[in-house]
Amino acid sequence: MSIVSAIRVSGVVKRFGSTAVLTGIDLDVPRGAVTCLLGPSGSGKSTLLRCIAFLEEATDGIIEIDGEPLGFGLDPDGVRMRLPDASLRKVRSKIGMVFQQFNLWPHMTALGNVAEALVTVRGLGRVEASEKAMAQLEKVGLAQRATHYPSELSGGQQQRVAIARALALEPKIMLFDEPTSSLDPELTGEVLNVMRSLAETGMTMLVVTHEIGFAASVASKIVFLDHGKLLVEGAPAEVFGKPRHPRIDQFLDTYLDRGAAGLL
Amino acid sequence: MNALSSIFGYLHGDDGWNILSGLANTIILWLVGSVLGAALGFFIAVARRYGPKPVDWLLKAHVEVIRGTPFLVQAYLLYFGGPYLCLALGDGSVCLTLEPFHAGLLGLTVYGSAYYSELFRAGFEAIPRGHIEAATTVGFTRWQTLRRIILPEMTMLVLPSMVNMTILLLKETAVLSIISVKELKFQVDIIGNRDYAFVESFTILALVYWALVEICGAVGRAAEARLSRYRFAHS
Amino acid sequence: MSWELFWLLVEASGLTILYSAVSIVVGFFVSAAVCAGVLSSNRPISAAARLFVSFFRGTPLLIQLLLIYYLLPQIGLNVPSAVAAVLGLSLCTAAYQAEILRGGFQSVPRGLIEAADMCGLSAFATFRRIRLPIAVRLTLPALTSEAIMILKSSSLISVVGVVELTTMAKDLASSTYQPLPIFAAAGFVYLVINLVVAGFGQLAERAARRGHA
Ligand SMILES: Nc1ncnc2c1ncn2[C@@H]1O[C@H](COP(=O)(O)OP(=O)(O)OP(=O)(O)O)[C@@H](O)[C@H]1O
Ligand SMILES: [Mg+2]
Repeated sequence: MSIVSAIRVSGVVKRFGSTAVLTGIDLDVPRGAVTCLLGPSGSGKSTLLRCIAFLEEATDGIIEIDGEPLGFGLDPDGVRMRLPDASLRKVRSKIGMVFQQFNLWPHMTALGNVAEALVTVRGLGRVEASEKAMAQLEKVGLAQRATHYPSELSGGQQQRVAIARALALEPKIMLFDEPTSSLDPELTGEVLNVMRSLAETGMTMLVVTHEIGFAASVASKIVFLDHGKLLVEGAPAEVFGKPRHPRIDQFLDTYLDRGAAGLL
Repeated sequence: MNALSSIFGYLHGDDGWNILSGLANTIILWLVGSVLGAALGFFIAVARRYGPKPVDWLLKAHVEVIRGTPFLVQAYLLYFGGPYLCLALGDGSVCLTLEPFHAGLLGLTVYGSAYYSELFRAGFEAIPRGHIEAATTVGFTRWQTLRRIILPEMTMLVLPSMVNMTILLLKETAVLSIISVKELKFQVDIIGNRDYAFVESFTILALVYWALVEICGAVGRAAEARLSRYRFAHS
Repeated sequence: MSWELFWLLVEASGLTILYSAVSIVVGFFVSAAVCAGVLSSNRPISAAARLFVSFFRGTPLLIQLLLIYYLLPQIGLNVPSAVAAVLGLSLCTAAYQAEILRGGFQSVPRGLIEAADMCGLSAFATFRRIRLPIAVRLTLPALTSEAIMILKSSSLISVVGVVELTTMAKDLASSTYQPLPIFAAAGFVYLVINLVVAGFGQLAERAARRGHA
């Protein structure tokens, strides 16, 4: 009971104008394990992840990272209030994020992308930052591509650079929003492999994905979102095993790939 | 109110009438120049796209020369060019003399055509190949494809830049006052010089052109809004 | 037309290049401020910046130049006509460059800024390291066209008596009674300058394209 979750989401609501996209989410993301966030398109997965990254501000609710409130906290009377920017920056620095569209900075080389924040945020010297960045690129198997620009890399390579860029800042938690959805099937594998080995190092990961096979084999926890609500959560065997929730049956019919069928 | 009456206070006699006739000339030059320029520009773009290579090169050279030189220099060439040719030909029997107004209109048309042609060329190139191929597969002739597919699509693609170009041409008409075309600026200059009311006359001119440009922009935006519903059909 | 006359035109074109270059650079700094103003959340500042852009894009440069030329002495600023002319050119190009910059900043993909945000870059660092370089790369073609536009438009400063290529051509045309070859030669000089600028623009674009998705 005393173990603090890596991420704790309590009562998070997100509205865009009058449309409610998240309607009261409660979620615990365990430390040192992979949690996969599944759900049909438009169910609010990205929105939830972006709230956890504070790229969107939740309309209501509290998000705690490592036990510390992110962006909003409760005052002594239990009223939700905005926290100072310094606290936000500190808590947020524990999070790394990988996007579906990679979002590498096009005017910097792979090495430049990884080293940038080490210099401008961490204040490291150029040489030291480059060495650290190079070490990260080696981990994702791209040391030889260090001087290439993003436009000269394949999608899979770009995504691995993006992972290295996030890892260089030594986050405690990594968020992935459909990291392989804009990749060809052959390239998906290389990114999933990097993610697998990252999981083996004990990194806390929260992954939005449609790769059911990856979720079933790597995740210790599956969270299923539907219409902005958390529908089911549990170990893969519980969530995918029979009897299944009818919405999950439907979802699996749509997304299940041949490779994953055997795993369930 | 005081500032306004001091701006307009120096007008008297036929001044109002002269200004109006100048404004009329400006608008005629602008609209006729734009329409002729766009038509000629379209012709150039089509000829460069479908014509033989040498035609393309020749027209490209023409377009680059026009776009690479100031309109003022082109205007001077037209203005002085006519009489000069007469002198050079010696006996004066073959004489090419252009009225300033016609020289101005010719200049605007040729100048505009170069820019319009580039704009249409970009428009042609922006149409997805698939749309043209689709038309060919359902048996459209080349002409039908141009008329039914390429032109409507291109109109939507180039409309915003056409509005910008037309505005540019309006502003260039003021340059024609330098070669004594009796357009708006020319007429207002006469009054300004007479009364030493330079700041006042240039302020009025600026406001009139500004208003015309804003009107043109608003019309363009309205046209774009009307056409934009067709945009759903492709994307 | 003799080589001596042509050489006089070439010499005068140095002034055309000088005035244009100064105007473009001054205009760039003004445009950065105007662009920041247009994008500002402060209503009066944004409205004023929009008005500036609308006026200088909505009126003929010729009239702007004349207005500034006659207005400055009236408000007690007796500056040489070349200064008034460069001021006019700078303000005009500032309005155009501000629009170009605004377009550039608005087309920087949002994801790139979110990535900077997630890497902990401050707003200033994001501007300096991510938004500005990408916006400038996106706007290089438009900025090159604008530079060429100003080189051509600078011929208008001949009307306030500033010596440059067109003024020289006018003077030579009236003193030699050979307007046609002289203006044709002046046009040729403008053309060569603009082709060179366009060439440099293409080189810069190619250099920038390597670092572009
Ligand atoms: N900025 C926004 N403004 C308005 N509505 C939005 C915004 N962002 C997302 N939405 C809406 O919120 C809903 C959930 O979107 P979200 O991107 O979170 O879904 P998702 O589960 O990630 O879907 P997908 O699998 O397609 O990525 C959608 O209906 C979407 O239209
Ligand atoms: Mg999503």
